[in-house]
Amino acid sequence: MLEAGIKSFGAGFQDVLLSNVDHPIAGLSAGILATVLVQSSSVSTATIVGLVGAGTLTVDAAVPMIMGANIGTTVTNTLVALGSASRSDEFRRAFAGATMHDFFNLIAVAIFLPLQITTNFLSDAATEIADLLGGNVAGSDTKSPIKKIVKEPVGWITDAIESVTDSADVVGALLIVLGIVFIFAALAFITRNMRSLIASRIEKALNSLVARGGGLVGMVFGILVTVSVQSSSITTSILVPMVGSGVLSIRNAYPITLGANLGTTVTALLASLAVDLRAGLVVALTHTLFNVAAIVTIYPIPRLRYVPVDLAERLADLAVANRAIVAVYVGGMFVLVPLIGILAFR
Amino acid sequence: MVLKFFRSGRSDNLEHIQNKLIEMLAHDRHSFDSAISALLTGADAEVVGPELRATDGKVNELEREIRRELVVHATVHGTGDVAAILVYMSIVKDAERIGDYAKNIFDLAASGVDFSKADDRTRMIEFSSRASEMITESGSTFADEDQDRAHALIAEADGMLDTFDNLVNSLVVSDDAAREAVPRALFYRHLKRITAHLMNLLSAVIVPVDRLDYSDEPDV
Repeated sequence: MLEAGIKSFGAGFQDVLLSNVDHPIAGLSAGILATVLVQSSSVSTATIVGLVGAGTLTVDAAVPMIMGANIGTTVTNTLVALGSASRSDEFRRAFAGATMHDFFNLIAVAIFLPLQITTNFLSDAATEIADLLGGNVAGSDTKSPIKKIVKEPVGWITDAIESVTDSADVVGALLIVLGIVFIFAALAFITRNMRSLIASRIEKALNSLVARGGGLVGMVFGILVTVSVQSSSITTSILVPMVGSGVLSIRNAYPITLGANLGTTVTALLASLAVDLRAGLVVALTHTLFNVAAIVTIYPIPRLRYVPVDLAERLADLAVANRAIVAVYVGGMFVLVPLIGILAFR
Repeated sequence: MVLKFFRSGRSDNLEHIQNKLIEMLAHDRHSFDSAISALLTGADAEVVGPELRATDGKVNELEREIRRELVVHATVHGTGDVAAILVYMSIVKDAERIGDYAKNIFDLAASGVDFSKADDRTRMIEFSSRASEMITESGSTFADEDQDRAHALIAEADGMLDTFDNLVNSLVVSDDAAREAVPRALFYRHLKRITAHLMNLLSAVIVPVDRLDYSDEPDV
C-alpha cells in the first residue's frame, strides 16, 4: 500500500523526498525523529524497508535512517523512567537503566556510521547475504510471496479510493496514510496479543535473570522477547521499573537491552518479505548486521563493555541533582538535534 | 534455553509466590520447634543454634525473593494483580517476623533459660504445640482461601492473645524473682507476637487489602 501510494505521486515526489535525506546526517536525523514520533522502531524500520522496496529510497540513504531508528526508539523507555522522577534513588537507577540504551546506540552509530559511509561494509555484507539467499540484488525484481497475497486487497482499496477521486496526489496520500496506519495496527495487534500470550514466560525468565544475573543468557532473553512481541520498546520498558526499584541491577539489564536491539531487527526482515526489490532485504539485513557489529565490538571488550552504563549513570547523577537536565536531554537528543540535522544537512 | 522459553507452560499468576510463602512458613515452624526444643525440652542450644540461624537465613532470603518476584510480576503484568501484590508484600513481612520471634525464643535458651524442669512447663508446651500447628494450618488456610477455617483460626488466635496478655500482666505484678518472671513474660510475649502475625496472615483470606491486619474490627 505504501509502495502504491508513493508511486502515485510520481518520480518527482520521490526525488524531492530522497534529496532531503540524502546526506547521512539528515538521514540519521530523519530516522531518529520519525521513530520518536511513532514511538516504535519497528514501524519506522518497516516503513523504511517499504520505501526502499518501492524504489523511493536508495540503500545508501536508508542505512543512516535505520541507524537513527535505533536511537529514536530509546525515547520510550526514557519516558518510562520519568515516572519515578519524584523519588531520587529510584529515578537515578531508572534513568540510568533507560539511557544506557541511548548511549550504546550513540556509540554504535559514532563507530559504524562513518565506517559505513566510507566503506559501505555493512551494506556490502548485507548484499552478499541477500545474494546468497537468492537472486542478484542489482536490478532484482523478485516476486515476494507476501506481496502476491496482499496485492489483491491493496488493489481493492486503491480502486475504492480512485472511485471517489481523480487526483493522483490524493490517492497517493491516502494510500500512504493507510499503509502507515496498517503497519501501526498490525504491529500493535501483534505486540498486544503476543505480550499477553508470553507474559508468564517473560516473568519466569526475568525471575531467573534477576536471581542469577544476565550476560549472554540475558541477551538471548532480550532477543526472544523482542522477536516474540515485535517490540524492543516493550522489552526495554519492562526493564526500567525493575532497574528503578533495584530488583534488577543495571549491569544485568544491559545485555537484555542489547538483545532487544538485535531482536527488533526481525521486524524489518519480515517487512522485506513484502517488497519485490531485493534492496529492501539488503536494508533489513544491514539493520541486523549493524546491531550485531555493535554488540560484537563493544560488549566483549571489558574496557568498552560498560562505557554506556557508566555514561548513563553519570547522566543520571546529573539528572537527580537537577531535573532540568532531563528536559534538556530528552528535548535535545530526540527532537532538537534531529531537527537541526535535517534542516542543516538536507 | 530457547525451547525452554517457549515451552514454559501456562500462566500460574502468583502461584509461584504463594508456594514460596508456604515454604517460608514451613521454615518458620521448623525454627519455632527448634527454639521450643531448646527452651522447654532441654535440647542443647549450641547444637540447635546454628541450624536455627541457617533456617532463619532461608526465611529472610525467601522474603527477598518474594519481594523481587512481586516487582517482576507487577512490571510484566501491569496493574491487574495490584491488590494481590500488596497483600503478599504485607503478609510476607508477617511470615518473616514469625521466624524472628522464633529466634527470640531461642535467644532465651541461648542465654541460659531452661524451662525443661519448670512447674508450668506443661502449660508452656501446650501453648507452643498449638502455636506450631497453627503456623502450618494458617499456611494451608491461606493457600486454600478457606474463609470459614480462617474465621475459626482467627477466633482461636484472638483467645490465645488474651491468654498471653493475661499471663504477661500477671507476671508483671507478681512477686516472683526476676529470673523466673522475666523469661516467662518474654516467652509469652513472643508467643503472642507469633500468634498476632498469624492472624494478620489469615486476615488476608477474609478482608480486603485496606483492612489487612484488622480482621477483628467491625466493618466501617
